[in-house]
Amino acid sequence: MYNQILVLFLSFLILAFVVWIFWPEKGLYAFIKRGKRNSKKILVEDALKHIYDCESKNLTCSLNSIAGNLSISADAAANLIAKLHKMDLIEHGTDNVVLSSFGRSYALRVIRVHRLFERYLADETSVHEKDWHIIAEDKEHLLTDLQVNELAAQLSNPMIDPHGDPIPSASGEIMEVPGIPLNSLTPGEFAIITHIEDEPGEIYKQLVAENLYRGKQIRMLESNKERIKFIANDEECILAPVFASNITVKKIEKHEEIREEFKRLSSLKIGEKGIVAGISRKCRGQQRRRLMDFGVVPGTEVRVEMESFGRDPVAYLIRGATVALRKSQSELIYVKEYVKEEELN
Amino acid sequence: MSGIEINKKESLLAAANNMRWEIGENFHDTLMESIYADAAVIAKKSVLKKGKKEYTGWEQKLDKIVTSRIFGLPLMFVMLAVVFWLTIEGANVPSAMLASLLLDDVHPLLKEFSAYIGLAWWLDGVLIDGAYLAMAWVVSVMLPPMAIFFPMFTLLEDFGYLPRVAFNMDNLFKRAGAHGKQALTMSMGFGCNAAGVIATRIIDSPRERLIAIITNNFALCNGRWPTQILIASIFIGAAVPAHIAGVVSAGAVVGIAVFGIFLSLVVSWGLSKTVLKGEASTFSLELPPYRPPRILQTLYTSLIDRTIFVLWRALVFAVPAGIVIWLVGNVSFEGLSIAEIFVNWSDPFAIFIGLNGVIMLAYIIAIPANEIVIPTILMLTVMTAGIEGAGAGAGVMFELESASATQDILTAGGWTLLTGINLMIFSLLHNPCSTTLFTIYKETKSMKWTIVSALLPIVMGFVLCFFIAQVYRIIIG
Amino acid sequence: MSNLNSAHNCAVCPAHNPGNLKKLGINMESSDYVIALAGNPNTGKSTVFNALTGLRQHTGNWPGKTVTRAEGGYEFDNKKYKIIDLPGTYSLLSTSTDEEVARDFILFGQPDVTVIVVDASRLERNLNLVLQVLEITDRAVLCLNLIDEARRHNIEIDVRALSKELGIPVVPAAARQGEGIPELLKMINEVATGKFVCKPHRITAGSKKLNKSVEELSIKISELYPELPNSRWIALRLLEGDQRIIDAVKNGDLGTLRKQNTVSELPEAV
Repeated sequence: MYNQILVLFLSFLILAFVVWIFWPEKGLYAFIKRGKRNSKKILVEDALKHIYDCESKNLTCSLNSIAGNLSISADAAANLIAKLHKMDLIEHGTDNVVLSSFGRSYALRVIRVHRLFERYLADETSVHEKDWHIIAEDKEHLLTDLQVNELAAQLSNPMIDPHGDPIPSASGEIMEVPGIPLNSLTPGEFAIITHIEDEPGEIYKQLVAENLYRGKQIRMLESNKERIKFIANDEECILAPVFASNITVKKIEKHEEIREEFKRLSSLKIGEKGIVAGISRKCRGQQRRRLMDFGVVPGTEVRVEMESFGRDPVAYLIRGATVALRKSQSELIYVKEYVKEEELN
Repeated sequence: MSGIEINKKESLLAAANNMRWEIGENFHDTLMESIYADAAVIAKKSVLKKGKKEYTGWEQKLDKIVTSRIFGLPLMFVMLAVVFWLTIEGANVPSAMLASLLLDDVHPLLKEFSAYIGLAWWLDGVLIDGAYLAMAWVVSVMLPPMAIFFPMFTLLEDFGYLPRVAFNMDNLFKRAGAHGKQALTMSMGFGCNAAGVIATRIIDSPRERLIAIITNNFALCNGRWPTQILIASIFIGAAVPAHIAGVVSAGAVVGIAVFGIFLSLVVSWGLSKTVLKGEASTFSLELPPYRPPRILQTLYTSLIDRTIFVLWRALVFAVPAGIVIWLVGNVSFEGLSIAEIFVNWSDPFAIFIGLNGVIMLAYIIAIPANEIVIPTILMLTVMTAGIEGAGAGAGVMFELESASATQDILTAGGWTLLTGINLMIFSLLHNPCSTTLFTIYKETKSMKWTIVSALLPIVMGFVLCFFIAQVYRIIIG
Repeated sequence: MSNLNSAHNCAVCPAHNPGNLKKLGINMESSDYVIALAGNPNTGKSTVFNALTGLRQHTGNWPGKTVTRAEGGYEFDNKKYKIIDLPGTYSLLSTSTDEEVARDFILFGQPDVTVIVVDASRLERNLNLVLQVLEITDRAVLCLNLIDEARRHNIEIDVRALSKELGIPVVPAAARQGEGIPELLKMINEVATGKFVCKPHRITAGSKKLNKSVEELSIKISELYPELPNSRWIALRLLEGDQRIIDAVKNGDLGTLRKQNTVSELPEAV
């Protein structure tokens, strides 16, 4: 026979090796997969997106900016530009690069896929906000036209991506979304966040970490060159102007829409009641619709009924039915203090 | 379709699209709110007495216990154990009676009849020793436990207990990155994995639905209990004093079932960290009010809908499988039957991981229906080990009257406690049956995920059996 | 087909849409009327189905167990009825598969009667779905199920007032005990044969701006498809960007839908 202990030891080693190869993100397989990403199609499409971005921001797009944006060498960028030109995707100026009409519609298609996919991730899946952009960056090069249209149909043809950017239509039209930068808001004004720029990723991550999202209502407290200070829902938030300039807002008149004084449903204890004041904008898509189907609309009375093991999920009595919700959902429902009917009269 | 009409359609859609931009994204919210506002007005006009509609009394008290943070989960496992114990204990007697009727009385009659009409020996073998015996085995072994388990399960289901199970277990599923309703589909899987896979339609999110589909196989389906129950009573029940043997074997089966739940959580976690990346999303499950089930109707429907349905399916697969078993036992090359050739070939690897070649072959033959694993194993063991005086000849599937007779044969075939334990593990961890695989393909419409669902458990089974074998050999020697 | 255009008042002939029903996989050869059964989960819908058909389909007690459509049939007053048990849904406005199945059947199949089963003890919550169904179809009967449970909880419902508010017949029932089933059969028959003409309640759509858009769009839809019974609802769906409805506008599927209460196909002999 063989030495069992040695066999056991060796097989543990083999198992550890296999685990290392397939370990998510840090494993060998993930590493190789990442390395394979730089194919030519992806470079072309990323370059088109970059040029489109420059054009829409009225910036000049040059060889250097392309090389910088795609993190490739200047030589490679020059080759790429030559290639784009050959494919009739760009019109070559002396110093700047301009999209041809074909190139523009190609770029818009890529943008459409990207934004649609972000919307899909936000509405239908539970992928974390900070990963939306990264996954969409990948998918924008992979989906076929048919798949894209199916995706749009499944999402009921959304108009705006979760960051607030308009989604180009299938025929390549793109709408303008009005709004002003957060910096230009004067203290005391109320506004609603309509757009958060997702590039550069570092800044975006920071903004996500501050729990800022589209649809959030804010009140400006202080705005100067050093810092921008405002109240978002019930938390005070301070940002450097560089960060704040990545946020677009729309002014609103109604003060009462600000939900500072409201509690979250998740903060109620067993037996306590509350009146639904609204659902946070962070709750999107199917999830939001489901809650409303259960009758979670402003004015509905909710009572905390039962807690499960680990205090999550919690069952609530909503319009006569017991509905179990996870904490991540009940956190997004705002409730007002419950007042007994007799007390109202 | 005229050109004008097409233009009109286009302009209609364009107008709708422009309005969508004007109205903005709050459309759905506003609409829902106004529907509820209308509903409130109508309800106010038509509901005369509001009464005390909040559920109180026994329903609430029961919910407080059943979904209690402390007692909820233990209560669930106790209930599971009781259901299994009742199934194991209750099925013994009718199983033996059916077996003696179908195998001891009817089988010889059929044999006599075929001799009387002078049926060719191979036709007699294929039809009576193959197809009929497989069918007889499935009926006698599966019908009694199913007729006990399904009504009990259905009573709990009709009563409204399943959503509470989902509620109790959701925290674990959330940590595993899975959907809370996966607990529901898993419960259905305890009945039949194919039904469990279909039930995953209640999960909205495609990612979590896929996880639920792939891991459904870890819920021990009813086709695999006969194996679990028999092996548990032979090898584990026999190791303890006789008066607690029933409880201990039921405990072992529950242990395997709970281990399956644990694995389904672990695999869900693994999948949601790797290929099916994402965070746990929503739960939003309604816990319906308890409704006292109507016992008689439940018995009737569970018998018609479930027991007969599942039994029928098993029979449909058992007949051809019985024929195949008889053939591999009797068609030979160079003096060795196909079965012996395969067993000899696969024995080194199989024994290395604590199983044996007979088990391997039995699982290949039993791909269409797991129910026939045990009879196939017995038949092949007798044949390859060359045990004299047991069974009814080469390739004849038979049932032994007592578990101890079965144990004698298995021990003579070289089985140990290790083989028993590993067979129980392997019965939990191997590819789903062909019906389930086909259902998975129909539901996912993806060959890739079907293959993943088939290979993942079988690889896990091999790896786990291997480690158990090594550790067992180090400790026991 | 010329008689289609002349608006005859045919009170007794079926209103269902045979062409579309065939597309939806329903064989209508041996039935006179088709009935759809809609309702929230956990309202005893399957029990009502069993009570109507005499079948014993298994009724589990967990939401979402009817994932597929069940079919059954019965005879009443010498007419053959086919009854389709739709998946239980809380709403018809979301995009999940079960809701689409239910929605498509009621919209494109144009059942002669849609029976909406509600839990009498949770009426207000169930009305959400009722109001949505009434946007789509003119022919419906409300089955106020679990009335025994409501009584036990001391809830009393003014059936007449409710019927007046909704514009459809309301039948209190306790399907488990068989209570109210004969009345339900009778009311289904009356609506199917046109003896009872429904005047369903329609939703008042939120803000002024929204209402104006819905009106505008609804007029445009009516111009294109004058026979359409539910242009307002189609307008609402277009505003939500529902691809199924956009496609139905494009490929003319909407053109196959007819007003149900006044116009229907006449027998060939006429």
